[in-house]
Amino acid sequence: MSSALPANLEKGTSLWKDARHRLFQNKLAVLGLLVIIFIFSACFIGGPIMHKMGIDPNKQDLSNQFSGPSSGHLLGTDQLGRDLLIRILDGGQISLLIAVLATCLTVSIGIVYGGIAGYVGGRLGNTMMRIVDGLLAMPFIIIVILFRELISARVEIAGLYLTDHWDWNRDLVIRFSNILPLLIAIAAFGWLTMSRIVRTSAASLAQQEFVEAARSLGLSHRRILFRHMLPNMLGPIIIYATLTIPSFILYEATLSFIGLGIEPPNSSWGTLIKEGANFLETKPAMIYYPSLVFSMTLFAFNFLGDGLRDALDPKAAKD
Amino acid sequence: MRIAKALLTLSTGLLIASCENRTSVEKATEAGILVIGNSNEPKGLDLHLVSGVLESNIIRALFEGLCVEHPSEDGIALPGAAASWSANDDFTVWTFKLQPEGQWSDGVPVTAHDFVFSYQRMLHPKIPAKYSDMLYFIKGAEDYNKERNPDPNSIGARAIDDHTLEITLRGPTPFLPEITKHYTWYPVPRHIVLEYGKIYSAFTDWTDPGNMESNGPFKLKSWNPTHHIEVERNLHYWDAKTVSLNGIRYLPISNTYTESRMFLDDQIHMTYTLPPEMIPYAQEHMPEMLRQEPYVGVRFMRVNTLNKALDDPRVRHALAAAINQSALIDGVLRGGQLPAHGITPPFGDYVTPNAVNFDPEKARKLLADAGYPGGKGFPEFKFLTTDRDAGRRNAEAFQAMWKEHLGINIRIEQREWTTYLQRQYDADYDICAGGWIGDYLDPTTFLEMWIKDGGNNNTAWSSKEYEAKLREAENTADAKRRLEILAEAETILVTDLPVIPVYWYTTNYLLRPEVEGWEPLLLNNHPFKFVRLKKN
Repeated sequence: MSSALPANLEKGTSLWKDARHRLFQNKLAVLGLLVIIFIFSACFIGGPIMHKMGIDPNKQDLSNQFSGPSSGHLLGTDQLGRDLLIRILDGGQISLLIAVLATCLTVSIGIVYGGIAGYVGGRLGNTMMRIVDGLLAMPFIIIVILFRELISARVEIAGLYLTDHWDWNRDLVIRFSNILPLLIAIAAFGWLTMSRIVRTSAASLAQQEFVEAARSLGLSHRRILFRHMLPNMLGPIIIYATLTIPSFILYEATLSFIGLGIEPPNSSWGTLIKEGANFLETKPAMIYYPSLVFSMTLFAFNFLGDGLRDALDPKAAKD
Repeated sequence: MRIAKALLTLSTGLLIASCENRTSVEKATEAGILVIGNSNEPKGLDLHLVSGVLESNIIRALFEGLCVEHPSEDGIALPGAAASWSANDDFTVWTFKLQPEGQWSDGVPVTAHDFVFSYQRMLHPKIPAKYSDMLYFIKGAEDYNKERNPDPNSIGARAIDDHTLEITLRGPTPFLPEITKHYTWYPVPRHIVLEYGKIYSAFTDWTDPGNMESNGPFKLKSWNPTHHIEVERNLHYWDAKTVSLNGIRYLPISNTYTESRMFLDDQIHMTYTLPPEMIPYAQEHMPEMLRQEPYVGVRFMRVNTLNKALDDPRVRHALAAAINQSALIDGVLRGGQLPAHGITPPFGDYVTPNAVNFDPEKARKLLADAGYPGGKGFPEFKFLTTDRDAGRRNAEAFQAMWKEHLGINIRIEQREWTTYLQRQYDADYDICAGGWIGDYLDPTTFLEMWIKDGGNNNTAWSSKEYEAKLREAENTADAKRRLEILAEAETILVTDLPVIPVYWYTTNYLLRPEVEGWEPLLLNNHPFKFVRLKKN
């Protein structure tokens, strides 16, 4: 005979529930989250709505340059009389897309590579990590530039194929095929640190009893690694991924700033800031608005990343 | 003891402070060194191999032609490497007496043989000289250059003795002294060039600092790629007493905004150019430093006629008529440029044919006639330009105009300066931004370059009829009739329109007031030997 459980028994709590609670206690992190949601929806919802309303980011008006904010142009116009707001939003699509996609790619590669290295360990794991060390020793930006040169011609041919044979929209294909070389280049060399983080966790988890237990049950390596170990590594992975996004936005901006970014007339935050820098003395609004949005996004991601770290990994003391 | 120490500290502090207060341009002025922005890294310093304005700025300081530019008057030739000159009655044979004291910077005398050697080198069929057609004025030059006559001595330049040079021309050229001011007519040091290679060897080490010897007011001191090129006073120069500067430092600053910023920050005496937005700013804040001067030059687009779609003159006229030149000038360039209706800019008595005007209706009709109504089916092409921001901005403006008025799409390709030049030489482009600055004050400087295989043609276009007109003008002694024939030639050119004129230049730049002897010149070839720096 079993007695019913008392009704007021506390519900069990999980790591994730605790983490969410701790995250929402952190005002800065919440603010960061809100800003990120706002900027994403502005770029990916607001931008297309403005397109539908007939505001074209490449429509020039040579008689109306550097106009101040007005009802027609909320943030004014740029050096060729184009609406600055829609160019910032369109640029944001490119910058954010690169950052998010590159982060997804690097995280996936990092998890698989680092997980295997950590789980298998031994000579193989060591060799894999020495390869990572070797790649990390190379200057990232230079590698990315070389890599980009290598593949951009092929991407262009592929893009032409899409427009000519499949009738895709030319402007969109050009705009987004532009980010592909950049994306692949960043992803190909951006997973190194992630793999180190994953390896460290995996190596320590591999010694623990529940992994031993899983192994003695005869589960496959793949199942052990991805079903049993991965959920226990998610904390550091999420934290690091959140902090990677702003650094990729920054890489895109850096490459655009040195003229290796997106093809004119399209914009990204990097190109907008590069062009704006030219008018620093004469028309400072050209650099203020893009860099304001840019730095707001970076701050927001960093606040959120810090908040997530505090929430998911409370033992890690705040530095 | 303590007080003495304190005083010492104080005075050293003051000394340091007073040093720190002097800006780099003041220090340069004190040292008698002119620091100027020079746009970009030169393609080289071998005067036979280059064709850019920025290279000529350096070469003009290092070398000297038979005649030199007057510091303030256009069209006056002062004695340079030649002390005096005379011509026969129909201006076809000229005799130049060289400076008896003329020396290279290593003390070796400059002789007529150096000049003959230079002209033979520039015209050598094996040397990749882009500008050899500047010497086609000389009798037999074209034949030798185009390998129709293998004998270099058939060129009409002859050393009568060490200091007498006789030049026989293919036609009457009363303005030959003007032409000899141009760097293609300068001598190269025969003894140095031959030390580092054969007569036709290109890109040898003879132009390296330490190797190069020159006959101009300055000699090459150091060349630090992407950082600076510095020249210093040439003590062996025949007219060294006139030279006031101790040296010139050329900075390759390709970003014009960076350049203006450096000027405002007192780092350079003079900018190479001025970005459009800075012009109103300078007018307001430093009118005494802003220079806006007429400049004989034209901005155009070369069209590669090897491209099937662009080979149709109707297409080229459509592209031209769809460019709103005035909007570009007022909205983007802002430097008081003039819309170009033809190639040759307005100067003297020459009347440029009126062939290109903004007319979107006509442009659409022409494109439809050529088989692309509304731009339908027109292949996408690429517009090649430099990696400068101004180049990008102009290209974006053209891109938008062509899309708006003709419904055609182009893609913009920005390349760094030397690659950009090389792609033009190789005709590896569809349409490409270009420009031409007059080499001397005569329309032929804008027309001779479009002949078949001209080193600066680069469009694959040529016309026998056009060249016949040019030859006819050459043999016409009557000045007025000659200009009419040249205008007829230009009409043929702009009817086919292998180059689309966009605007005629003005120069806009910033110049510090302590630079003296720098007066407006139509060709902007300021002779550095007359430039002075006023010290406070």
